[in-house]
Amino acid sequence: MSAPKLNVADVAGLARLSLTPEETSKFTAQLSQILAHMETLGQIATGDVPEVVPPAQPALRPDLPCPSLPVDVVLSNAPAHNNDLILVPKIVE
Amino acid sequence: METDAAGMSSHPNWEAVIGLEVHVQLRTRTKMFCGCVNQYGGAMNSQVCPVCLGLPGSLPVPNEEAIRRTIVTGLMLGCRIAPVARFDRKNYFYPDMPKNYQISQFDDPLCAGGTVGLDPFLFPKDLQDTDEAKAKKSIRLTRIHLEEDVAKSFHYEERSGIDFNRAGTPLMEIVSEADLRTAGEAFAFLGSLRQVLLAGDVSDADMEKGQMRCDVNVSVRPVGQKEFGTKVELKNLNSISGVRRALVYEIARQIAAVEKGEAIQHETRRWDDEAGATFTMRTKEKAHDYRYFPEPDLLPVRTDQGLRSAAEKSVPELPAALQDRLMKENGVTAYQASVLAADRALCGYYEKAAAGTKHKAAVANWILNDFLATQPDPATTPIKPEYFGELATLVAEGGINSAQGKKVFAELMANPSSPKALVEKLGLAQISDAGALGVFCDEAIAANPRSVEDYRAGKSNAINALKGFVMKKSQGKANPTQVDEILKAKLSA
Amino acid sequence: MSLAHETLASLRRRLSSKEIHSRDIVKDLLTEIGAREKTVHAFTHIDEKAALASAEKADTSLPLGGIPIALKDNLNALGDPCTCSSKILEGYRAPYDATAVARLRHAGAIFLGRTNMDEFAMGSSTENSALGVTRNPWDPTRIPGGSSGGSAAAVAGRLAIAALGSDTGGSIRQPAALCGCVGLKPTYGRISRYGLVAFASSLDQIGPLTRTVEDSAILLSALAGHDPRDNTTDLRKPETFLSKPEGSVKGLRVGLPKEYFLPGMNAETEAAIRSASQWFEKNGATLVEVSLPHTPAAIAVYYILATAEASANLARFDGVRYGRRAVDPKDLLDLYQRTRSEGFGPEVKRRIILGTFVLSQGYADAYYRKAQKVRGLLRQDFESAFTKCDLLLTPTSPEPAFPLGERTQDPLKMYLADVFTISTNLAGNGAISLPCGFTKSNLPIGLQLISPRFGEEKILQAAHAYEQAHDFWKRMPPV
Repeated sequence: MSAPKLNVADVAGLARLSLTPEETSKFTAQLSQILAHMETLGQIATGDVPEVVPPAQPALRPDLPCPSLPVDVVLSNAPAHNNDLILVPKIVE
Repeated sequence: METDAAGMSSHPNWEAVIGLEVHVQLRTRTKMFCGCVNQYGGAMNSQVCPVCLGLPGSLPVPNEEAIRRTIVTGLMLGCRIAPVARFDRKNYFYPDMPKNYQISQFDDPLCAGGTVGLDPFLFPKDLQDTDEAKAKKSIRLTRIHLEEDVAKSFHYEERSGIDFNRAGTPLMEIVSEADLRTAGEAFAFLGSLRQVLLAGDVSDADMEKGQMRCDVNVSVRPVGQKEFGTKVELKNLNSISGVRRALVYEIARQIAAVEKGEAIQHETRRWDDEAGATFTMRTKEKAHDYRYFPEPDLLPVRTDQGLRSAAEKSVPELPAALQDRLMKENGVTAYQASVLAADRALCGYYEKAAAGTKHKAAVANWILNDFLATQPDPATTPIKPEYFGELATLVAEGGINSAQGKKVFAELMANPSSPKALVEKLGLAQISDAGALGVFCDEAIAANPRSVEDYRAGKSNAINALKGFVMKKSQGKANPTQVDEILKAKLSA
Repeated sequence: MSLAHETLASLRRRLSSKEIHSRDIVKDLLTEIGAREKTVHAFTHIDEKAALASAEKADTSLPLGGIPIALKDNLNALGDPCTCSSKILEGYRAPYDATAVARLRHAGAIFLGRTNMDEFAMGSSTENSALGVTRNPWDPTRIPGGSSGGSAAAVAGRLAIAALGSDTGGSIRQPAALCGCVGLKPTYGRISRYGLVAFASSLDQIGPLTRTVEDSAILLSALAGHDPRDNTTDLRKPETFLSKPEGSVKGLRVGLPKEYFLPGMNAETEAAIRSASQWFEKNGATLVEVSLPHTPAAIAVYYILATAEASANLARFDGVRYGRRAVDPKDLLDLYQRTRSEGFGPEVKRRIILGTFVLSQGYADAYYRKAQKVRGLLRQDFESAFTKCDLLLTPTSPEPAFPLGERTQDPLKMYLADVFTISTNLAGNGAISLPCGFTKSNLPIGLQLISPRFGEEKILQAAHAYEQAHDFWKRMPPV
């Protein structure tokens, strides 16, 4: 494994986090240290790790309806709602 | 609008390469990963639970019926069914995604390969007579997998409102290889696929209801070139004919651009049906990095421990096989076979009707030409299918003539009852007695001297007036074949 | 004596014989809480009224009838907050019961208190809580361990009879060791995770923190079993654990993994563990040296896989459907970014970024997929060790409780403290930590016993025998 190019700001963007410049540099230093520790994995031979075949068919769900939550309960946790819809800033395609 | 099959007659040096990605909502009672009802039109946010709302701590459990129906679809389309299938997380943020990841299948889908045969009768009406439609081309599929649908959003001035009822609906994604070459073929592909889905009772696949959604990938290249051109993705296609219109436009647009020396952008374009054109959607700088990884909350699904054999039991006769059989064994026309194959309920009704008579083609005529016009519901109609078998037999074996048959049909619609009984009721028994007919013929000859003269002078059509007279006098009950014989005999005497 | 000092098993007997009433237990606990909670801060929420009301209606004919239990603040309990010690879940009220909570309710238990934790279970000291730190009852200048630090401090500090916690890389066992109580992480798939706010889905397990091994077995019996709402739960029939305590370890083969006994270990910890292993030998067990060769890779594997899963599990916290939302977002992106940046603490952000990175295009093969394969090797290590022994004996933590604030600026050093507990989560085995000694400064030391998968009965039997032969479980922190 070559030294990874961790661009903290880019990755934070993927995770919808916005970091202060201070956080960005602090995390870059800390995570680089952590990633350096992980370099050792590259040296472990994993060629013939057997694939775990699942035993029997797991418990699937029969197609039978169960009660849903009452609408007022659904909306009670929503930060913004109107006319039974949960509201967000306008979604632009 | 292009009117020839290839849709490419104005572009003889160009070839379009088209692939489709179709999402089909499965008609199960409950959602993919929870027990909320899978039903269109419920009150907003009333069909929601911790799982499909993405509440903290919730966990998915797969709907066995959704898996079974996907396997049925795969079997009908000739796919390889994976002995072990897995779910994966597809990660991206969007308000219609309760968990901000979608549970889908990436590495190990339920079905791989398969084909969709293009049914000639499912080409656009104006293209059905072309060689291309008659070619019965087979389009290869890449895969079929299962995933969960997203919520529905409504857009206002400054906000959007989200209804999570649809979130979690089982969705089957069917991906075709880039084997399609024309807008007409794409149209036929969707219709043929839909027909298979209806046959398997898997989905109603009505595009206008959002039960079947389609994204298109299209590129163009000069005829003979091996490399593909730059492909463009088209979205916002809301009907099968909309797909055709969008492709016709887009293919023309791409060819025009390339002929002018412009490069085609690898982008997503939105079809605007009203404007009749595609437009660039707000492009993202980078392609999505979905960071797929195996869904840790779900164990892999083994289909070889009963799921596949359960699915095999529900695979119906495929539309193509059904049509062949009806044509060969029942003598129906190709067109009639395609109508029946497209409507299993009607087909079942027809087969019941045809079972009791050897005049199976005639039964098809009655049901498809006459009965279908009354928009019946084969499942609930009081008109028993056996009645049509009876009716066809009566007309064919001389009980009544075809005109009388129509009268019986009319009465059958109004007062459903056995046609034999109706013939009695209407007093329609055909007159085949030579003596009685002879009397009518004498009357006709006496009343139409002009026609008699013409006939004897060599105008053989003149006999029709005499026949008409007999039919009128006999209130349509005279056996037309016998009348013809008797008149001819008398006129040549 | 205060009922708050008694074991669950003993209280059960006394409730059943009508010698005491559930409200008596609640009242005694509230007295203890009144005296010491200000210092310890084990709880994020206490609803006195509700607890007393439930106590009045308690049905002592049920297996846990009238027994008050504390819940870690990442378990959904109908109508209650579930903050995960994070700002981002401010205001959220659970509209459903976690299966584990429902099973306790069904068994007659009542709930007293939601306990503090590292935010979203990410941490080993409970210092990552957005709702304040918890202090070790044995020394309030030190950490209680984490992430179930509140649960461990409550049980050890006699502020709760028993508590539920969650363990992803040691979060039940390590605080139990540092606080001198018993902490059990069942085999993965033993207890339903439905309703436990997920950190790392393939590693998380709910488990009990208790005064004694017997109490632990009682709770495990009540909680274990297949749940149709959790596809990862095992289908085997439910069992009652430790129903017949054998009290003997004769013939037991006790494996000592050499990778867990390296030179330079904390001297007092090493002495206590050695003494424990000698007890087993003296009482008829055989000590066997085994090897878990991939142990040095475990931390890397864990921090790749756990953060990867967490980065996806925590994506749902976006201010759209519940919890805290940034004020006046100017657009959707602002809603997401500000809600999450304001709502998550630095450790959570760090792990989300790491997890997102190891899954990202171009890196997923080298990190995520490689770690998955090495995980398979770790699992094989355990399976092969268990062909030579019945259970493994190790320290739980490399050292006793360290001072608050000592490691908060050094995340890697913090991660390395998980070295003895992490592999069991990766391999899916069961493990229990129980007190086996104290340092000169009266800090608890924990002994860990690891079972083969679904072999909890083995370690409960052995732990119970060891525990009852010693007095460690009776020792209480200074008032």
